[in-house]
Order: sequence, then C-alpha cells, then structure tokens
Amino acid sequence: MFGEQRTRALLKPIDPARHSTIAPPRLSAHDLINRAEAIAEPVAPRRQARPTRRLVLTAGTLAVAVGAVAIAQTFGPNGPDTSQIASPPGADPGVVLVPVAYGSGAGAAGSQLRALASRLATTEYDNRTGRYMYHHTKTWGDPVMTSADGRHHVAFADDTKVWQAVDGTGQQVTVQLEPQYPDQESRNYWQRNLKPKAAASATHAPDSFPLPPMDLAPLPSGRAQLNDLLKVRFGAGAVSNEVSMVYGRYVVPRQTRAEILRVLAEVPGFLWRGEVTDRAGRKGVAITFDDRDNNAQSLLIFDPNTGELLAHERLTLSPVRISSYQVILDTAWTDRLN
Amino acid sequence: MGPPGKRDEDWFTRVYAADYGQVQRYGQRRLADIEAAAELAQEVFVIAWRRRREVPDRSLPWLYGVARRLLANEWRARRGTPDVLPMTDANLLQKPGVSGADATVGVADLQAALFTLADLDQEILRLVGWEELTVSEAAQVLGCTRTTAAVRLHRARRRLNDAMSYRSGSPAQQPVLASPRKAM
Repeated sequence: MFGEQRTRALLKPIDPARHSTIAPPRLSAHDLINRAEAIAEPVAPRRQARPTRRLVLTAGTLAVAVGAVAIAQTFGPNGPDTSQIASPPGADPGVVLVPVAYGSGAGAAGSQLRALASRLATTEYDNRTGRYMYHHTKTWGDPVMTSADGRHHVAFADDTKVWQAVDGTGQQVTVQLEPQYPDQESRNYWQRNLKPKAAASATHAPDSFPLPPMDLAPLPSGRAQLNDLLKVRFGAGAVSNEVSMVYGRYVVPRQTRAEILRVLAEVPGFLWRGEVTDRAGRKGVAITFDDRDNNAQSLLIFDPNTGELLAHERLTLSPVRISSYQVILDTAWTDRLN
Repeated sequence: MGPPGKRDEDWFTRVYAADYGQVQRYGQRRLADIEAAAELAQEVFVIAWRRRREVPDRSLPWLYGVARRLLANEWRARRGTPDVLPMTDANLLQKPGVSGADATVGVADLQAALFTLADLDQEILRLVGWEELTVSEAAQVLGCTRTTAAVRLHRARRRLNDAMSYRSGSPAQQPVLASPRKAM
C-alpha cells in the first residue's frame, strides 16, 4: 500500500545498516533504569496553573472558522458560484483557493509596523499560565501533490491542535479536511484523477499521538536573539517563515509581539497592505514581501489590536497562485490535554 | 493506541530487548559514527523509561520519534563544531570499502540521488524503506497525518526517480529539486 513495498525494494540495497551486527547494549535494562533515575531529568520551570477560559472559546472560534472560510470560491456541479463564503469543510470537496485581497497602493511597512508595535493591547493569554502551550491551526500546502506534467496541484487542508509543554511533550491531534486547489484547472484534473476515497472529505478520524520530548528553547525577547531566531540575515522571505513558525509553536507575550513587529520593521522589502480579511473571516492588517528571484510572495496578517499573527500565506507571483497557508485559529496556555 | 499496560521493569526489559537493535540501526543510518549511534539508542531508552506512561504499546514509532528529536537537538547544539555528522555530510561514498558489495553504478547513483533530496523527503523514504514502517507509523514519527505522509512518500519517490534520471543523463550536473514549502 502507498508504494511501501516498492520503496523497500528500491532502498534496501543501499541501507547502511543492512549488514551491521548490533553489539549488545553496554548497559542492561536494569542499569539503564538506574541511570535514568540517577540523572535528574531536566525540568523546565513550570508555570503556575490558573484556570483558562480560552479553551472554552475554542469551539466558538472553530465554528466561526468553519462557517466563514472567507475568500474562497466553491464550484457546484453546474458552474461557478461566486460566493465569497465557502461551504463548511466537507460539504464540497472542491474549494479553489483565491489569494487574500488587498488594495493596490502600498508603501514600505516599517513606520506602520512600529506604530502598531507601540499600541499593542493585551490578549487573553497574556494574563494566563499553564503547563501546555496550545495551538489550533489550519494549514494547507504541505505537501502539495502535483500531476506528472507539473501543471495540476492539490493538497489536503489539515486542522491541527497541539498541546506542548516546554519539554516538548504533549499531544497532537490532526484532522485531515477537504482537498483544496490553487486553480480551477487543477480542480478539474484532480477531481477526475484523485481516488474517491482520498478525495472524500471530513470522513477521516483524527490522528492523535503523544509528542516525544525535545528541547524547546525558550522564546527570546531581546532584539539580538530575535534577529537570530527569525533569521533576519537571510532576508524577508526567511523571516516570514520563521515568524509563522514562532507563532505556531509558542505563546508569544505582548512585549515579544511588539519586538517582533519592530524586527520586521527593520527588514527591507516588506510592504504595508492595510486592512484585509483572513481565511477565517477575521479582520487583520497585512504586510507582503515579493521575492522576485524565487517567483514567490509571503503575506503575513496580524491582529490590528494585539499584534498576534493570524495567518501566513505564500503565493507564486506568476501566475498568481496560492502555494501554502497557515491560519492560527487559537492560542492559549492550559493545564489539560483536550 | 489504548491505555498503557503495566509499565514496570519487566515491561521495560522486554521493550529494550526487542527494540534496542532497531533504534541503534536508526542511528547508524543517519550518523557517520557507530559509537554515536549506540549513545543515541541508550539515550532514547533513558527517555523511554522516564516517559514510560506515554509510550504506546506499539513502541517503535514513538522511539524513532524520540531519536529523531534527539538528533535534531544534537545537530542544532553542535552546528558550530559538528563532530557527529549526519550521513549526508559524511561523504560516505568516497570512503574506501564502505560501498563494498554495492559498488555498482546503479546503487552508487541511488545513494547519491537520495542524498540530494530535502531532509523531509529523505526521512520519509528512510522510515518506510529502511525502518520498514507503514505510512501510518511514519506519519507518527513525522508528526503529520497518514495522508500527508502518503503524499510525501509519493512525492519523495518521484523526486528520487527524477534525481536518478538526471544523474544518469547528465552526471556532471546536480538535480534541481523543489524545496519543501513548509516543514511543520
């Protein structure tokens, strides 16, 4: 299934360990247990638990997201429906993605980003604590499946909830949503060629698994460390990706949100696009960076009050077409999984 | 994944005996240093004991996930002075004797082509091809859905084939591969 056997047949001859003889472990199971018990596990500072109301809001937020996936067009069997509000995921496995709309006038984003940084309001999680950082995201575009001729693309949207402690452990629950297409030609092609089972939407059980431990470095708040973390030296395209990663992994406090906006203000190439509506139907303010060398545009949408990242999208510039998006639907501190 | 059974020393001894070799091989396939692979395997099981309540009954994918994260941590920590090299950086193909029975043009090309792929493409191929995980199990290691893993495998196989074709047609040139859009 899925070419597993063929992959094994292909790669086994170059398996570096295929002839290796594994020496017995130097430590017995008993000794290893003693070692594990003797060496204290690194314990991250535990934040004091307080009740959070944020999670109570999750269902409502998701309902808004499901009901108002704006800026997408769905096409029924009889032709295009030009509605700006898509059907709920699952109702029509045929969403053709349309880029987020913004005005044509644009100037350098630096002064607007600094102004936004100077007036940030607190958000609910700024006054909460908990064992886990919780993120609820909807993503599309990783990976994209492309037809053999390279012309037709499809990817499944994923709805992911992650509870992650600072030692990396926690839980991840991902639900595969409907296939979405960057253009009508791709939709036509893949609806002919995608296996019905694969194309069937909203029928997949959640994939739920525990997260193994990892070093989750603390989120820095200083300018120099943020410049490093956000890969400022590689330019605005890399910075866009890293800002998206940071907001998808950490609960970012207000001071750090402001500092991130100031970092962005100093990176050449970002244009201020003003008020936009993201795919969850939320109002935000957007900046873009056109990477002409790679025929790509990065778009970041921020909450105009709190400065939180709402969404990150990547486009190809010619033709103008969505490559990937991430919408951050909810962020919170919590003590509980699920 | 049901609730874990009794997680005492007997349980750990069984898991250790059953899976240690596989976890060490995981390290050998990704590191140039066998000693480092043994250390990695021991560290994985130290964590498995400490986290024994979280280890699923089918433990190998979880153990591989721990190993993958440990390697990532290690690699990040040692970027300045990398004495533990990932296999792709170890120039393995030029080491005398390493290719051994594989010293055929086809196998060498396959190795070289594999090493040109992006890390995520290589990893899904290794997990399925070498660790012999199912796509669902590989998805657990990579932290993605089964469908996403299946698409990644499909895409990686095609890129591997493209890289092979490119190499055999024009050995002086390196294949140009699309970079992954986003690593989760």
